[in-house]
Amino acid sequence: MSSCAIPSFTIRMEGASVAEFSWPPRSPLEHALVAGAYGVREVAPGIFLTEVRNFELIQVMARRGKGAELASATTARFGMAAPDVPKAVSASDVMLIWSGPDQFLVLSKGGKYTINTLSQAFSQSASLSDQSHARAWISVSGAKARTMLAKLSSIDLHPTAFPIGAAAATSIDHTSVNLWRGDDGPDGQAVFNLLLFATFAGSLWQTMLDAGAEYGVDIRHSEEFA
Amino acid sequence: MVSHAQTHRLESGGLIDRSAPLNFRFDGKTFAGFQGDTLASALIANGVKLVGRSFKYHRPRGILTSGSEEPNALVELRTGARREPNTKATTAELYDGLEAASQNCWPSLRHDLMAVNQLFSPIFVAGFYYKTFMWPAKFWEAIYEPAIRRAAGLGRAAGVADPDHYDKAWAHCDVLIAGSGPAGLAAALAAGRSGARVILCEEDFALGGRLLADGGMIDGMPAAEWTSRTLAELATLPDVRIMNRTTLFGVYDGGTYGAIERVNDHLPSPPEHQVRQRLWRIVAKRCVVAAGAIERPIVFAGNDTPGVMMASAMRTYVARYAATPAKRIALFTNNEDGWRTVETALGAGLQIAAVVDARLDVSAAHRALAAKAGFPVLNGSVAGVEGGKDGVRKISISLTGGARAEVEADGLAVSGGWNPAVGLTSYHRGRPKWQDDISAFVPDGAPPGMVAAGAANGAFGLGACLSQGFAAGAAAAQSPGHNGSAGTPPVADDETFSLTRLWHVAGKGKAFVDYQHDVTASDIELAQREGFESVEHLKRYTTLGMATDQGKTSNVAGLAILAAVSGKSIPETGTTIYRPPYVPVAIGAFAGHHRDEDFHATRLTPSHHWAAEQGAVFVDTGLWKRAQWYPRAGEKDWLESVTREVKAVRSGVGFCDVSTLGKIDVHGPDAGAFLDRVYINTFSNLAVGKARYGLMLREDGMVYDDGTTSRLAEDHYFLTTTTAKAGPVMQHLEFCRQVLFPQLDVQLTSVSDQWAQFSIAGPKTRDLLREIVDPAEDLLNEAFPFMGAREVALRGGIKARLFRISFSGEMAFEISVPARYGDALVRNLMLAGKQFGVTPYGTEALGVMRIEKGHVAGPELNGTTTAADLGHGKMMSTKKDFIGCVMAGREALAAADRQVVVGIKPTDKKRRLRSGAHVIPKGEIPGSASSQGYVTSVCFSPTLDQWIGLALVERGRERIGEIVHAHDPLRGEDYDVELCNPVFYDPDGGRQRG
Amino acid sequence: MRIVCPFCGERELGEFSYLGDAKPVRPAAGAPEDDVFDYVYLRDNIAGAMSEHWYHAGGCRAWLKITRNTLTHEISSVEPAAGAGAAEVGA
Repeated sequence: MSSCAIPSFTIRMEGASVAEFSWPPRSPLEHALVAGAYGVREVAPGIFLTEVRNFELIQVMARRGKGAELASATTARFGMAAPDVPKAVSASDVMLIWSGPDQFLVLSKGGKYTINTLSQAFSQSASLSDQSHARAWISVSGAKARTMLAKLSSIDLHPTAFPIGAAAATSIDHTSVNLWRGDDGPDGQAVFNLLLFATFAGSLWQTMLDAGAEYGVDIRHSEEFA
Repeated sequence: MVSHAQTHRLESGGLIDRSAPLNFRFDGKTFAGFQGDTLASALIANGVKLVGRSFKYHRPRGILTSGSEEPNALVELRTGARREPNTKATTAELYDGLEAASQNCWPSLRHDLMAVNQLFSPIFVAGFYYKTFMWPAKFWEAIYEPAIRRAAGLGRAAGVADPDHYDKAWAHCDVLIAGSGPAGLAAALAAGRSGARVILCEEDFALGGRLLADGGMIDGMPAAEWTSRTLAELATLPDVRIMNRTTLFGVYDGGTYGAIERVNDHLPSPPEHQVRQRLWRIVAKRCVVAAGAIERPIVFAGNDTPGVMMASAMRTYVARYAATPAKRIALFTNNEDGWRTVETALGAGLQIAAVVDARLDVSAAHRALAAKAGFPVLNGSVAGVEGGKDGVRKISISLTGGARAEVEADGLAVSGGWNPAVGLTSYHRGRPKWQDDISAFVPDGAPPGMVAAGAANGAFGLGACLSQGFAAGAAAAQSPGHNGSAGTPPVADDETFSLTRLWHVAGKGKAFVDYQHDVTASDIELAQREGFESVEHLKRYTTLGMATDQGKTSNVAGLAILAAVSGKSIPETGTTIYRPPYVPVAIGAFAGHHRDEDFHATRLTPSHHWAAEQGAVFVDTGLWKRAQWYPRAGEKDWLESVTREVKAVRSGVGFCDVSTLGKIDVHGPDAGAFLDRVYINTFSNLAVGKARYGLMLREDGMVYDDGTTSRLAEDHYFLTTTTAKAGPVMQHLEFCRQVLFPQLDVQLTSVSDQWAQFSIAGPKTRDLLREIVDPAEDLLNEAFPFMGAREVALRGGIKARLFRISFSGEMAFEISVPARYGDALVRNLMLAGKQFGVTPYGTEALGVMRIEKGHVAGPELNGTTTAADLGHGKMMSTKKDFIGCVMAGREALAAADRQVVVGIKPTDKKRRLRSGAHVIPKGEIPGSASSQGYVTSVCFSPTLDQWIGLALVERGRERIGEIVHAHDPLRGEDYDVELCNPVFYDPDGGRQRG
Repeated sequence: MRIVCPFCGERELGEFSYLGDAKPVRPAAGAPEDDVFDYVYLRDNIAGAMSEHWYHAGGCRAWLKITRNTLTHEISSVEPAAGAGAAEVGA
């Protein structure tokens, strides 16, 4: 979504009454996500699930024969090259996440790199699609994060196989997801990130809670760009 | 109730925790045991010998083994919803409060009336199903099968939903090891020290395999000490994972293995939030099978009498569980290893009645032991057992040379040698090979990446197990590139191996080969006489090895007997194909999380929670939950609600969430050219800001999907698909883009989840939109004509896309906003539309209006219809190549008598229509020959105040006005209908253009 | 079964969907009906190495041409379709 501020307007109602209308963005997880503890509570939570709600997500796909132009446009725009293998690279306010051959995702804080701000830069080299509303972004961390994710993902997340910066276009519950490992958290634990399809998010969220319940889950949401 | 005394428990010893006594119940009686017991060892410690009745003959049976190969001691474990039939007492861990019941007996285990089956045993011989219940055929389902299932059979299922949870998980490693005996532990040491990621699976709860019962000396220390030191070292290696209670049950392609972990089977019920069992899919670069070997019985008359037990199991109960299956034990062996049971029993202070050894060359040391302990060593074989449900009483022996002898004993240990566990190595249709020096089948190769070591590889000596396991572990670590030092291998001496082949002792009385399926030696001989000489035929005819134990104790003996009677060698006779799973795995574990509401993932539209607040009734549409209708207070049924919704749209305005449609961004300079190839009609000439209906064919000429596609920019089209085909169309388009037309510069992205899309329909649509859309936007026909498509600003600064398309036949727009604003959009539409009586409508009203308007949908786009069948033949371009264009021109697909879409209405206006009815010409006898088509879609039309429908009828369009007969044999309905124009409502289209 | 996607690396079978024989080539526009008929309907059913189309549906969405032994499931080669990614095509 493009900004934290909630746009609104006033509507004239027949018979002189006036009503306020607004456009509050609603996360696909707004109903399912209940902040707090889930599952086992007698122990310190083994899983931290945080939904990040305020982001821009733009799919960038190279046009035929324009790989080199896209690479230079990317470097010019973000000061770093887009990964051409399954990795995620990041600067302070943006991540470039590999999502397939000759394509990547630009993930930034809400309002930062919108489809409008990027379309000019890539107009000659790539096709862009706005996916900011099409995904829910969940970060998974904690001592049992990898154990829990092993129930959902067939990907080997061992540090030697999936180090910091590794990314994968893969599936959970037969549903496509983007999975990448960010910098370790302050507790030294690995932090995994998931982009879920928005319409599947509630269902996959429940699957994640079921998988994590035995380890204790701490649930939050955040407007902060990780 | 007072527990029965543990009359058969040794005063000391064993790996049980005597400080943790447990109570349990078997067949209603309370007993005591200890932590560390299995149900079988606890029953033995309590002197229980009779634990079950056999499958066909209801013969009394006791415990034969101490592991997962057990054919006899199957019980119903737990009660109520958790009751689990056919559970092996030999692997069920004892817990406090455990309840188990014997199965396949009535009214009780001791007084089983079904044992009368033994009197009729001649009819239960090999192939009895095929011989006895042949005629009359209809009796099979009604009489024979239910009766057989009552009389013969296994335990009872719980009959109610399993209250426990299961899950599935993935694991990855360099080296996977099956078994924690000496070979498995040595392999783990070598691989782990080398730096490999190791997973070791052990089905037992305790680690050590045969070391737990047989001990021995390793590296100069007792086996138990070596085991604990080894486990301590393995625990220091961060990437070595030991999984006990976990059976590796199968190997699949590409180094994927299946394992079942019994996470909480050792507890009465799983702790909250925990699962009962977990199914593992393990991806391993290498696998070392150190699964050991299974001791094999010798077939002789009465060998199923309770108290007859495998020799290794007998000493396991004594040494590991301090439980004594018998107090005066006879041993029948054909090999050296059987004598270890004598040593263990004597060490525990038990009496040896006699040793019957089939070998001529019993060692001097054994003879000296016998002399010292005062028992006879008889050269010969056991010919019969006297006893019954209370166990063995007397054993009769045929001595070499022909004389007979009798020995009194209350237990008989039997050892016929050992069979390597060749299951895992043979699961890729591998056939094990016969190794003559040990008289056993050993692995002959294995699936890629797998190797067997130790007893599983036919190396029975302790020293050989350790060295083979260690070498296999080191080699398995090296190939994925782990070159750390494996260190020093553990060493031990090998035991003497000596065996004289003996499979079957001829004699009077039933001699069982397959205990669980009640297959006797004479069944096999009979089958051979009847011509079932192939081992695969023998298996199916006699059911040998087809029970839940998969013949772990019976297969080799069975084929040895077959070989003997057919005059062939054992290798010539061969083995049957081995198939996973190695042990039974609960279906619940395969389902894991995916049960009930979680059977599959669910998709929710952006307005779902708003619709739920309105009390909408939802319908499952593929993975989606869609609002079907919105009932209001006082409405008596769905039809009343749907009728109201339709009337509200046709007279005012309503909206429906159509976000479930597949939405695809088609980008690139060649986007138009690409769409020309995938649609039958042309899109490259579509103006920016316009939408067009498109039809896609399969390459065989049949209609694949339809939808509207809009051109939003010169190089950007927005394509929609039906809800059902969203995924398949995306895959198809990617195939066209990547495989068929790679030269086109076009990019595809699914944006289905990016947009919340609503259809707003009805004569007051523009009035409602004006309240929402920025006043600067002109929505009148000139600026926004029918099939217009463009971005507009909404009041409040949000951008939306408006498409002037209509599925209902009314003046309509589809509006889409970024999905997170979808919830706000419906709420604002409701608020702004209150003055116009805005009415949300569901998929039923949507369907009614599309039938009234004659639009085709899923029932007509059914894979057997052409564009012309659907009335869209003229859309098909003749000027370009597109998917399906050539095959669509085939004679049969262009034939004049094809079934085409036509409208139908009943001649009796009050008549209800139903889809599926056949269309028969008037006056003809209904039947497949006279059927000219069928009714595809029906609805009650509130607009026409009668039922109407669409049908596929031969030459339908030429027959408008004809009265035909609708014949519905499924529902027993027959009535007349009139064929009519499928566009029932506003055929000129004035309303949608208005 | 596991397939080494040329873009994603080794992945489990469940991420892929199978289409079938990759040998037939779609005839060019204007080809005789018989050629198109063969393309649509004629398929070899090989007991052995077979060239097949697979789609990495649950991954990078690339179409792949895979040579698989239908008897052993052994995969001897995996190639991306000409237009998978292929920012270079036409360059």
